[in-house]
Amino acid sequence: MKLYDWINERIDLDSAVKFATKKQVPVFYGTVWYYLGGVSLFLFIVQVFTGILLILYYQPGATTAFESVKFIVSKVSFGWLIREIHSWSANLFILFIFLHMFTVYFAKAYRKPREITWYSGFILLLLAMFFGFSGYLLPWNELAFFATKVGSDIAGAVPIVGDFLLKLLRSGDEVSGATLTRFYGIHVAVLPLVFTLLLGLHLMFVQLQGMSVPPEQENLPHDKRKYMPFFPNFATRDLLLWLIVLNVIALLAVFFPWELGQKADALASAPAGIKPEWYFMFMFQTLKLIPAHVWFIEGELFGIMMFAIAGLIWFLVPFLDKKANQGKRSLFWKFVGIFAIVFIAGMTIWGYSV
Amino acid sequence: MKHLIQLLFFICLSVSWVITASSDDSDGCIACHQIIDEDRDDDEKIMTHIMEDVHFQKGLSCSDCHGGNPNAGDDEDEAMWDVDDFVGAVDKKDQPRFCGKCHSDPEYMRQYSAHIKTDQESQYWTSHHGQKLTENDEHVAVCTDCHGVHGIYPIKDPRSLVYHMNVPTTCKRCHSDKDIMANSGLPTDQFDKYKSSVHGTALFDKKDIGAPACNDCHGNHGAMPPTILSISDICGTCHANNAELFKGSHLREIFIKENIKLCEGCHNHHDILKPTDEALNWSENETCSHCHSDGQDKANRLAGTLFNIIDSLNNKIEEAIETVDLAENKGMEVSELFFSLEDAHKNLIQTRTSIHSFNEEFVRKTSEDGYKAADAAIIGAEQALTEFGFRKKGLIVFSLILTFFVIVLYLKLKSMENK
Repeated sequence: MKLYDWINERIDLDSAVKFATKKQVPVFYGTVWYYLGGVSLFLFIVQVFTGILLILYYQPGATTAFESVKFIVSKVSFGWLIREIHSWSANLFILFIFLHMFTVYFAKAYRKPREITWYSGFILLLLAMFFGFSGYLLPWNELAFFATKVGSDIAGAVPIVGDFLLKLLRSGDEVSGATLTRFYGIHVAVLPLVFTLLLGLHLMFVQLQGMSVPPEQENLPHDKRKYMPFFPNFATRDLLLWLIVLNVIALLAVFFPWELGQKADALASAPAGIKPEWYFMFMFQTLKLIPAHVWFIEGELFGIMMFAIAGLIWFLVPFLDKKANQGKRSLFWKFVGIFAIVFIAGMTIWGYSV
Repeated sequence: MKHLIQLLFFICLSVSWVITASSDDSDGCIACHQIIDEDRDDDEKIMTHIMEDVHFQKGLSCSDCHGGNPNAGDDEDEAMWDVDDFVGAVDKKDQPRFCGKCHSDPEYMRQYSAHIKTDQESQYWTSHHGQKLTENDEHVAVCTDCHGVHGIYPIKDPRSLVYHMNVPTTCKRCHSDKDIMANSGLPTDQFDKYKSSVHGTALFDKKDIGAPACNDCHGNHGAMPPTILSISDICGTCHANNAELFKGSHLREIFIKENIKLCEGCHNHHDILKPTDEALNWSENETCSHCHSDGQDKANRLAGTLFNIIDSLNNKIEEAIETVDLAENKGMEVSELFFSLEDAHKNLIQTRTSIHSFNEEFVRKTSEDGYKAADAAIIGAEQALTEFGFRKKGLIVFSLILTFFVIVLYLKLKSMENK
């Protein structure tokens, strides 16, 4: 306690503890969904730590990247574990962000006054997906190389700025060593900086505004609403769940390791069945199904425009869902959410079954 | 009536202009033969084929081979029969000399390629075909039988009758025909045997143009059946190590003494099958017992020993593959071990080749590197499996520690909430 006192004298820890113990977390049937954001945060922390350890040995470059990852997993003590945890937690990170987003959506937590929290969360999801996209190429293996080629091709089909985007991503006309170096820079410097700042903002809003409850709960009389203190009750539960998630990651790392595969060869033909990462699969599968031309628009361009419009609508839900701001539920937006889940899940399953 | 006559005259004039315009003005042979071709079956049309012919493509025309006067117009006598150097359809016995006029002239042929050969005719006369033709036996192949008549393509053109993939089918046209081969004393089953052989399968089924066709063993223009001694040189062109090892073995002298063709004695000729290790298995295979029919102990023992060396190396490699696969399926990084497996497999091929020395010590020594490579793969894979075991144990310990903390936290939480 001497240390606490020593620090407290200097930076007033008491007020922070007071804030944490005073902070109340609503208790109701949906309390469980509050943990998803916390798990996403935990996975991001895991990513940062394992990512820093990987940087110590990883060497970007077309002639060194694959070899250095191979060295990490085969020669460096516990290198395999660090790489597996990084890969698995990256996937779980995006999965939990998706789950967190949908629970927030159905709880109508985006309604006034939490619109900015929703906007920042949505951008964090996009950044997380870009984290995954840029990190996937770094081992410089065959699958990653061609998946990046296909992925950046799609970016190249965007009207007006497509060509610029493609060259910006690839650092040239083709996926090459220059692309790898660029992705590495984005993955370990640009994205962590932007993501951390935005995450800080997102968390600050959550702390300042407190936990949101669905409209039905909000409309209950005060005496019928239950709460638990954030610290230590909710924080202990959070920690408990984080430990379980860590154990699951360790289990996946040992029994379901990610294959390194063959080194990328720009001159080789693309292997059969090239697929993007699972979180891009629903878009990839949809683009595959769209005919070559829809009216007078090129099919791929039409698909990209549809996804852009859908993404924009999703982003602007707090603005569009007028009923939510009045503390009511809108059937239309409920069905939009259900449709989004069914569409994403259906297309993903379809994509993997063909 | 006057208008009708004028109309008919105009039509005739137009038709004759169209005919003249559609033919090559500079070559009367082509102009007439195009008209003659109209009444012929497709495969007999001279002009259809000649347009794609390599000679025509290089700028030669009918008169360059057949003589005559291509500028004589419609007069057949003036174009052909009254011209001294005119040669119509060429007699079979004159065919080699007919083509040889140009193809045996280095100065003339040099204009088409600096490396072009001009010994085809002279080689031909030394061939079995050429010798028989000299004896007025016309049941033999001449230039046109193999290369075609007016539709001759360069040998690297897949449409050519002598393009590598097409050679066996071209030779088959005569050599599998019982009527043509009736007086030759030769069998007619070579093609069928070749087709199912290791070489035929490679050429026809795998489309491997590196696989030998008839001409690779028998020669092209100087085609002859190989003699006892020349066989090892012919096979040794591709199978150099096997031929060299056999050359140094004690069996070579015995084969020559017993009048057994060197490679053919064990491997046959047109029906050469893919050799298997089982060929050395005395009890189940007749390869050795053709000559060693009395079950001589020494030969029997040697074959058995060689079989065991190869078989045990094979088993060792299979064990290595299984162990590496097992480690790989556990998700371990074992890509470097595949280099050892590749080395072991290369050595297995070398060991199989080394049996042509019929020297137990040499074969055993050759196989040593294969065992070393396979052992290295097994050791590496076992280390990977041990590492996997360590990871599993580590996971159990880690899970137990985490579970302990989870339980402690849970109990703490419960006691906290009960207060």
